[in-house]
Amino acid sequence: MNRLKRIYNLFYAKFFLFDDRLVLMTAGAVVGVFAGGAAVALRLSLASVLEFFAPYRQYAWAFILPGIGALCSFLFLDKVVREGAGHGVPEVIYAVSRRGGLLRFRSTFSRLVSSFLTIASGGSAGPEAPVVMSGSAIGSNIGKFLGLNDRQRMTLVGCGTAGAIASIFHAPVAGLIFSVEIILGEWKFINIIPIAIAAVAGAQISEAIIPEKELFQHHPFDIFAGDILGSIGLALFTALISVIFTRTLRRVGALAKRTPVSPWLRALIGGCAVGTIGIFMPIVLGEGYHPIMEMVSGTFPMAFWLIFLGVFLKIFVTAITLGWGGSGGIFAPCLVLGSLTGVVFYKAMMFVFPNAAVTSEGAYALLGMAGIMSGVMQAPLSSIFLIAEITGGYEAILLLLLVSSISSTLSHIIEPSSFYFKDLIERGEFMRPGTDARILSDLSLNEIIDTSYITVSENMVFREFINIIRNSNRNHYPVISDETGDYLGMVRVSSIRKYALDPAFYDMIFLNQIMDTDMVTASFDDDLHDVLEFMETFNIDHIPVVEHHRFSGMISKARILDLYRRELIMQTNIQ
Amino acid sequence: MNYKLLHIFRNTPFGRETFLQSLYFCKTINAHPVVYIPKTDKFLMYFANDVVQVNLDNSFLAFPDTAREHVIALFDEAGIPPRFYEPKNFTASTLPDISSQFDYMCSPRSISDLSSKIGLGLLGPKVRRMIKQATFPILIASPVFKAWQSISVFFGGSANAMNALVLGLKIAIASGFPLKIYTVLENDNEDVYRDMVRNSELEELVDQYVIEWCFYESSGFDRMLYEVPHDSLIVLGAYGHGVIKEILLGSKMEHIQSTVTNNLLVTGPNCRISLESATQA
Amino acid sequence: MEILISELCKSLGVSRTTIERWIRQGKLPVSQKGRTYSFHARDLKNWAAKNHISLNLTPRPAQGSEAETPVSLHTALKTGGVYHDIDTGPDVPSVINTCVKKIKAVPDDFKADLTQQLLEREKALSTGLGGGIAIPHPRIPLDYIEHPMVAACFLKTPVDYHALDNQPVSTLFFILFPELKFHLHLLSALSLCLRNRQFSEFLKTRPKQSELIEKIDTLHLTQTM
Repeated sequence: MNRLKRIYNLFYAKFFLFDDRLVLMTAGAVVGVFAGGAAVALRLSLASVLEFFAPYRQYAWAFILPGIGALCSFLFLDKVVREGAGHGVPEVIYAVSRRGGLLRFRSTFSRLVSSFLTIASGGSAGPEAPVVMSGSAIGSNIGKFLGLNDRQRMTLVGCGTAGAIASIFHAPVAGLIFSVEIILGEWKFINIIPIAIAAVAGAQISEAIIPEKELFQHHPFDIFAGDILGSIGLALFTALISVIFTRTLRRVGALAKRTPVSPWLRALIGGCAVGTIGIFMPIVLGEGYHPIMEMVSGTFPMAFWLIFLGVFLKIFVTAITLGWGGSGGIFAPCLVLGSLTGVVFYKAMMFVFPNAAVTSEGAYALLGMAGIMSGVMQAPLSSIFLIAEITGGYEAILLLLLVSSISSTLSHIIEPSSFYFKDLIERGEFMRPGTDARILSDLSLNEIIDTSYITVSENMVFREFINIIRNSNRNHYPVISDETGDYLGMVRVSSIRKYALDPAFYDMIFLNQIMDTDMVTASFDDDLHDVLEFMETFNIDHIPVVEHHRFSGMISKARILDLYRRELIMQTNIQ
Repeated sequence: MNYKLLHIFRNTPFGRETFLQSLYFCKTINAHPVVYIPKTDKFLMYFANDVVQVNLDNSFLAFPDTAREHVIALFDEAGIPPRFYEPKNFTASTLPDISSQFDYMCSPRSISDLSSKIGLGLLGPKVRRMIKQATFPILIASPVFKAWQSISVFFGGSANAMNALVLGLKIAIASGFPLKIYTVLENDNEDVYRDMVRNSELEELVDQYVIEWCFYESSGFDRMLYEVPHDSLIVLGAYGHGVIKEILLGSKMEHIQSTVTNNLLVTGPNCRISLESATQA
Repeated sequence: MEILISELCKSLGVSRTTIERWIRQGKLPVSQKGRTYSFHARDLKNWAAKNHISLNLTPRPAQGSEAETPVSLHTALKTGGVYHDIDTGPDVPSVINTCVKKIKAVPDDFKADLTQQLLEREKALSTGLGGGIAIPHPRIPLDYIEHPMVAACFLKTPVDYHALDNQPVSTLFFILFPELKFHLHLLSALSLCLRNRQFSEFLKTRPKQSELIEKIDTLHLTQTM
């Protein structure tokens, strides 16, 4: 019995606590299956409901459908599950970078349901961000259930994301890369294997249920040299469109917050506006996978001017849907927008140079998608592999690389933070592992503070104090009130030197006459960043921490450097 | 030591009673209340291995313009310098994170359920989850402000009950109020419990501060509840039951809190209480 | 070997809160038993080696010289000894040469070197403090000396030592030390005594070793009171 227990302990220690590769791989596979299942469920239900509503779309009253959908979605999110606002991806990144990947259980389904309501009724939004949110929440909660630590839990969050993306797009590599590039932000060996397994599991689940080879099938392309010039032109165009898209999204969202109507009414109005536009231009509605399919295969029937108009209407409709109370992501709208842009560009190019030797319209739709995706997300790797995988278009990989890199560079110059990170950066909570912000947020004042200080009384005679400094190596002595025990000020050895050298002063002065009362103090409510700011502004190396008028300890720059370095090693080590 | 108690203020007469309770508690054990006036109807608390979302009902958000004044007035009355908590981090724009770095937290009987249940109803599920995760004890205030004059520790012999006993001692040392221990015997005789204390490092303190140790036979639980003085603070350890266990066995916590009106101070399985600073003072 | 959190705090030089956070974040190889954590020395060493973290599992010496007990003047004088009625030539080199020969605690092989060093120091600046007292000492630590020492030498006849006040010197305190930190300490302890007028008078009586040590002890006691 005893031996069994020892073996158990050994295994437990080996597999669960530190050398946890096996556990993470197994758990990653499970997470991938669940996340993939959630994605497939959303896709299937969306497809069937969209099909159900399709015949009613041409009626005039159909404009109200997206309104009702957005309203239901808002009410569900705000009143039933009481979720926070937004599409969820920043929340996942926040949880990973600041909270050890802790996500609430309700997040596993809340966004699925609300985005389903929005998209199924016709709102222009993507099902990917909600699926990412629930996939990550599934990973996080499985990690919680197994009692894993932060690092392991974060890996499982990444697994959930990868599984969800892999499943909804049939794109395991894109899932892996999206998860590492956008959500986790660090390429560590220990993360990659479980995430890859989860991505494969997610993709397999979706393939088992929806048997299709890739999401958007097309005829093979023939690439010509002229296409290089064409793609450079397209990249400039997509960068422009993606900046317009990002800005419109934010403007409309900000406008909605200022509109003095109650949120539920806002959702209804926004939805109806979307519905009205949708009657005249049905391609802007829904997640838009179907029009993309047509464009990629080169069978898109609309005229040039209509498509051109469609680009801007799609931007507007998506902004209204998401900004005014609907729920969903921008992934699918980006794809629609990208393919529309690509087709518009192709048609314009054909108009100007009718005899140019370039590839087909479908290829440009594909390149346009890559351009917009990398422009909006500023994650070139994710978009290249995603586009290549969902179209099976590895023959165009060269052009994809070109468009992606130019487009993301350009939009990065104009709009330095990507759509997913912008909120977090503005709140100062975009913290990748190993960065300054992350280290400062991890180190709390409690860990740095030095409490072993000798306090002195305000009524102490200077001679007595001289004896104290003689026998101690401190440079700061906090002065405490005799009556209340409150902190009054600080005696710094450096500033009393001239008195200390003159014995005539020894019996003449009390400490409260020479203490420094206007030294800046910090409290435990401040974080390390604030404290460093104080030190910078006032040019000091030590700062006392005073809590409720009581002296708690000192923080010194030397100690901060010491711990900062240790923390940096801990965060960036290879393990 | 700087002990801090987190209080989530509700700007209603009922909330005032709860806050008075917090103030009294802090004054008695020399802690500092920190008040959070909610601005959104929900917030998150992150613990080591869980995140708890607390949904507040609308009464917490009512009359936001007078809330701060009311709090300051009550602080002044108690002679404590007012102190407020402002959330620094937000998971989403409407979802602030409340720090879990407190030493105590005050909660009304239910922090999140409907007002009808506030009086003497269920213990909110959120409160229970918080007790399970929190590293600090939670003060479940009586519906009406009551100045307690003694401390009663419910000691059942588990590790958690031991924690509660330590906490009871700590409060007895800080407040100077008499401490009584109440134990319901479950099959064992009294000596088993006494030995348990003897084997720990607490023996000396128990001898010094505990004025009486009352034992009841296993069916005498309700009698015990009646015999606990009405003006005493009950300190007890909660055992984190799962949902199924709760349905089958019923929750003792639930029974206690629906039977007595006293203030309850509950320690959860993750509570860490040290006596160090208390004995120094 | 099992290592507790408190021990690890010391060897990594961080606070308990930090260790607990690292455990929670999964950055340390820890094994958990119920609610207590423990570490295995072997795992920790492997982990530290892999990540290039300096890990000192044996308790490190406390920082600063504060913790060590400094050598007192009392013991230094005991090691060095007191020598009376030294008959020397009229100039500095001969004084030093004779005195060094007398000091028993210096190994004979190194006496020549010591004399050389002391003379160099005198050339730079005389160590004659005035009031008939000089404290010859070398500039650099001597590695052939085991313990720091102070040797008191009373000359038979006062000698012109180029002292600050041009008074002839009759009393010399040789300060010899194996490490620099003793030097300053002994020097300050000695000068504390020499500043005392009573002590200077007392020195003129050419006291014996035991008397001198006793006097120093009482002086130091009153000073620190």
